[in-house]
Amino acid sequence: MDLGDLLAPNGIIPDLAAKSKKQALQELAARAADVTGLEARDIFDTLLQRERLGSTGLGRGIAIPHVKFRALNEIVALFARLPEPIPFDSHDDEPVDLIFLLLAPEHASGDHLKALARISRLVREPTMLERLRHAKDAAAIREILTTPAASHAA
Amino acid sequence: MLTSMYGIIIVGSSLLIISALTSIIAFRFGAPLLLVFLSIGLLAGEDGIGGIQFDDAESVYFFGSIALAIILYDSGFNTKLQSLRLSAGPSLLLATAGVVITASIVGLAAHFVFGFSLLEGMLLGSIIGSTDAAAVFFLLRVGGVTIRDRVRSTLEVESSSNDPIAILLTTVFVELLARPDTPSGLLAFAITAFQQAGLGLAFGVLGGFVIIQVVTRLNLEAGLYPLITLGLAVLCFGITGMVGGSGFVAVFVAGVIAGNAKFSGIISLRKFQDSLTWVFQIAMFLLLGLLASPSQFPDAIVQGIVVAAVLTFIARPIAVWLCLLPFNYRPQDTAFISWVGLRGAVSVLLAVLPITGGLPSSQLYFNITFIAVLVSLLLQGWTIRPVARWLGQIVPPKTGPLEKIELELPGGTSHELVSYRIVPDSPIATGARLPRWARPSLILRDGASLRLHDAGRLQTGDHIYIFTPPRLVPMLDRLFASAATSVDEDDPTLFGQFQLDPTQPLERLADMYGVRSKVGSELTIAEYMEDRLSGPPEPGDRVDFGSMDLIVRDIDGSGRIKAVGLYLGPEYEPVDNQPFFIRWLEALHSFRSKK
Repeated sequence: MDLGDLLAPNGIIPDLAAKSKKQALQELAARAADVTGLEARDIFDTLLQRERLGSTGLGRGIAIPHVKFRALNEIVALFARLPEPIPFDSHDDEPVDLIFLLLAPEHASGDHLKALARISRLVREPTMLERLRHAKDAAAIREILTTPAASHAA
Repeated sequence: MLTSMYGIIIVGSSLLIISALTSIIAFRFGAPLLLVFLSIGLLAGEDGIGGIQFDDAESVYFFGSIALAIILYDSGFNTKLQSLRLSAGPSLLLATAGVVITASIVGLAAHFVFGFSLLEGMLLGSIIGSTDAAAVFFLLRVGGVTIRDRVRSTLEVESSSNDPIAILLTTVFVELLARPDTPSGLLAFAITAFQQAGLGLAFGVLGGFVIIQVVTRLNLEAGLYPLITLGLAVLCFGITGMVGGSGFVAVFVAGVIAGNAKFSGIISLRKFQDSLTWVFQIAMFLLLGLLASPSQFPDAIVQGIVVAAVLTFIARPIAVWLCLLPFNYRPQDTAFISWVGLRGAVSVLLAVLPITGGLPSSQLYFNITFIAVLVSLLLQGWTIRPVARWLGQIVPPKTGPLEKIELELPGGTSHELVSYRIVPDSPIATGARLPRWARPSLILRDGASLRLHDAGRLQTGDHIYIFTPPRLVPMLDRLFASAATSVDEDDPTLFGQFQLDPTQPLERLADMYGVRSKVGSELTIAEYMEDRLSGPPEPGDRVDFGSMDLIVRDIDGSGRIKAVGLYLGPEYEPVDNQPFFIRWLEALHSFRSKK
């Protein structure tokens, strides 16, 4: 499974303006609704429910909110970069400026987890965050996210 | 006469001392200690530099049985009921059916590959049917590696309880081979097995309670308690064997019962038995090494290696997989458990039985077994750490090293006296406060004794003495241990990718991730985890949840789970360079889940 295949065609938002976690999730839900045809309200509500279980912030400025929907046919990923980092209740208290949103069909439990694990590994690659933060536009970000890393050593 | 007596004593004690000293090397390199003792025995023996002539199989078996009884009693004594509860079902199935399956597969292989008769093959399979408690325990502890709770206790309980079945099978097959006219057949076999196990269990329970009564009721000189319990254990072994039960089952059960009782003096009992078990293990291995004649090994080396290979890569994986089927283990756990199937002293000791039974080609069994055990100890012993890491079995060490002395108080009080030396970078040295219930009664600093309010702040190097109930000692340990080494806070395999709020209902988590939850819907995540864990939760403890793991990240002051991590699974795609038997296990596993 390649992240490039999951990223929706216009699923990259290089500068998302948001003042709060809630607002960021709202914006992302709206864009996800465009991509998937789901109701923005439903997406947002489910995202909030997921956050009640514990923040999806990973630390170091990254968050990966993720939810499942019955009406969805395939896994869809979106990426947003925020010029102004926002508080996200991450365990390291760092504000978040890089957000991956992952939507998965109800039945694809295994693939959903694999995609999540894949993103979580991706953002731990040494120079990845730096490169994402300095990429100049959506196309450059897509390039970074889809090009396989040089080394895959475990 | 006298000179030969002193000669034997000098040689024997020197071997004992050399063995104890070489343990330092084994700990440093993580080689199985027993292998070292065995090698010393070999070196001292007829084909080694020692040149000692020794081939009294009868006495080796006699002495070995007693040694084994004491070792088994001790491993029962140290088996916590808690870990028995955690893994009783799977371990006991492994220890019974698992041994039979392993023995049968090896037996069939020996029959078809080497042309042994079916009975002879089965005898060989039974001889190496059980895993070795000493080797397994040693390898699971050595090098500060902490293995996941459930897997570790499964392995430990299995290895300490599977010897009786292997012994039973071996005795029966030796009997059948030595006297072909004895009534054989499945029924007679089943009756014998049932009688041995049943009587063993009954006498073991009885023996355990007698030991507890004697220790709590009698008022003896303190130094005599260990002797009387040991005497009772061996007595129990003898009586059970006399009436036709399995003495090995009996001493193990008696040990479990006595070791889990609460009575004063148990700490000194443990210490005594600890060192006694070492003595017997060393002695047993030395003797077995002495008994072997390496000059004959070349004739058996091919068979030995093939048997070890069949055992490790076919028989054990199949047996483990079948036995764990009903128990919801993850494929990595099953793989690890089947890898840690070390053979050891018991197998070599059982290989002496055909010799004492006067069977033809009995020396061949012994040599094959000896080589197979060596291969198993070497192969699995050296690879256990990388395999554990690679199968995700290692949990972060709970604490770093600790300098502590525990003293039990006479008279059955509910407190004990613990003494700690304050080590650098322990929480207490870096400013953590002592809880109110743990006021030090005495502080030793630079040779002077101080009271708490004279001492001021505790300093590195202080020795402090605290009276405390035993159940609170683990909490103190955390305060006084130096920081755990090499824990990467960022490593998701240790702490999970996402953090969870442990007060949230489990049901919501199950909904979100599509896990069919099988438990009461009203539990919180923390409650569910505490239910599933054995004993008080500690950071790094994990509980599986669907295909994911819930991991304890932090504990609050009262020992409740404060933070939880969610581990999604490995982040790297499975690679193809896995040993084939593990890939094979995974294939079997996915076959099962598709059904």
